[in-house]
Amino acid sequence: MAIITGLSHLANPLATAVQLETSSSHLDGIPKDLEDWVRFESSKLLQAAGILLRLPQELIAQSIIILCRYWIGADGGSMLDHDPKDAAAAALYMTAKPSPHPVSVRQVFVVFSYLTSRSGFDYKMANEGDVTNWHISGVDYEAARSRLYAIEAHILQVLGLATHVALPFTLCINYLQTLDVFKASRREGEAVAKLAFQHLNTALLSPQLLYLTHQPTALATAAIYLAAREVKVKLPETSWWEVFDVDREELGFLAVAMRSVEGFAREERLKWEGRRVPMTIEGLREEIERRRTREVGGAR
Amino acid sequence: MDKRHPSSFQQLEKLGEGTYATVFKGRNGSTGQFVALKEIHLDSEEGTPSTAIREISLMKELKHENIVSLYDVIHTENKLMLVFEYMDKDLKKYMDSYQAPGGGPRGALEANTIKSFMWQLLRGIAFCHENRVLHRDLKPQNLLINTQGQLKLADFGLARAFGIPVNTFSNEVVTLWYRAPDVLLGSRTYNTSIDIWSAGCIMAEMFTGRPLFPGTTNEDQLQKIFRLMGTPSERSWPGISSFPEYKTTWPVYATQELRAILPQMDGLGLQLLGQMLQMRPEMRCSAQQALNHPWFAELNQRSQQQAAAQGQFAPVQGMVAGQQRAY
Repeated sequence: MAIITGLSHLANPLATAVQLETSSSHLDGIPKDLEDWVRFESSKLLQAAGILLRLPQELIAQSIIILCRYWIGADGGSMLDHDPKDAAAAALYMTAKPSPHPVSVRQVFVVFSYLTSRSGFDYKMANEGDVTNWHISGVDYEAARSRLYAIEAHILQVLGLATHVALPFTLCINYLQTLDVFKASRREGEAVAKLAFQHLNTALLSPQLLYLTHQPTALATAAIYLAAREVKVKLPETSWWEVFDVDREELGFLAVAMRSVEGFAREERLKWEGRRVPMTIEGLREEIERRRTREVGGAR
Repeated sequence: MDKRHPSSFQQLEKLGEGTYATVFKGRNGSTGQFVALKEIHLDSEEGTPSTAIREISLMKELKHENIVSLYDVIHTENKLMLVFEYMDKDLKKYMDSYQAPGGGPRGALEANTIKSFMWQLLRGIAFCHENRVLHRDLKPQNLLINTQGQLKLADFGLARAFGIPVNTFSNEVVTLWYRAPDVLLGSRTYNTSIDIWSAGCIMAEMFTGRPLFPGTTNEDQLQKIFRLMGTPSERSWPGISSFPEYKTTWPVYATQELRAILPQMDGLGLQLLGQMLQMRPEMRCSAQQALNHPWFAELNQRSQQQAAAQGQFAPVQGMVAGQQRAY
């Protein structure tokens, strides 16, 4: 990833084109679309686990971005190195650890086993879930913990220990204030802010890896642009996004990309028809095998 | 950062042992340059220590002449090693081994040295704060000195980037002796001012050779502070009674003059120290304000002349304060 200088706490190292083209998982034989689905499923899993663990959204977002960074590039981690659900757990544990909201390995495991226990999970499980009755046995715990530490070390190694993630949420509020959105009408301003945050959270699930390819300034600007249109709040008639260093082309791309996530989610439902996206190495191997035999069968 | 093999550094004598790391003196095999090798213990209860993750992510951003440089991180299967710039000793050892030629108590430094060290310390702190980083653990052991008389901040294991708002930080930080009263009182919304308090304590210690408030427990630490600064009340510190550690049973001490315990300090120095050692965090000066204090006039002037001679842009003191980043 490119080295950044100056104001680095507001910017992120962006993924290079080569890193986006070739991933370790792909080199290991995971088809591109399957990789996208696993990433999508992992991000959703992290979001749900974070809610259950009562973690702030910034931390959840950070863990999703860290996991995405880990899985890109030929030098990155492969989904066939470690079970994707374990990699997600390690990313969450590692992100929370140095923060003001650390969680224990046990807490992470309990929440993850709860969420992966059923044939499919939804956010309802996170919002209404009761994990107090979930336990993990001593033997399972010991083994799982050392596995998690190993993945954590691998993630840190792949990232070159650059764990800093700049997020667009605070910027988004700053920009809305700069645009006087709250001054005109507080109620409308809050509606725009809420929608903009929803777009930013949705973008975390984007198969285009928007948080790895665009700076927080651009993400915040695009989210505001979309939200203001949806609430029908008037923003300055001029090219206001240029003030935030975003050009029309990038804004347009991001606006389309952010709105496309919904279609992607719908497609997932259709494609998997109630089956689960595999979140283990074994499951991934089976899925690859299933596709291969189907292809062979189809060719016959 | 490249993933070089650790053997490209020759490991020499052990320099110190911390809670999460052992530090060795090392030599770069290809350049012969000395380095400090901080070996992180990975066998802990928490995987890769959070202190290491924090320190590395912050040190990668903080490049300043008064902050020790992180050259490299070597990450192998079972070891994590940070390669830092080599410094000769820490301020604690420097003071312990110092005897002023003109006599005076052992450990007390000379006025010019103190002024230079304080100026460098505050420059390092100011840079951290401008980059929205709190050190949280400033003490003589964490300030490194080299043979050229340069002072650099080290050990960012407890440091943390602060966003806005700054809240819910753990209150288990900063070695007791240099801990600010608001932290001792249980405040969890502390900010950059906690580092300024520590700097004030260090300044006094350099003059006397002895720690200013060598408390043994949280309560004892507070009382030692009150004995000098006076016991605070709702009157002198509105809102103090709502702190978790507030007690109505504190003995009431009157405020002492700093001059009485620091007779060796000049008037301007005492004035600056008074601005740093304010009980109420919001009354403490910022690092940049401290640097602009007339006590540093000569050093500031010299640094500007040097910068001008090197053709660099030297910001006029006073303007710098206005250049705070909008974070």
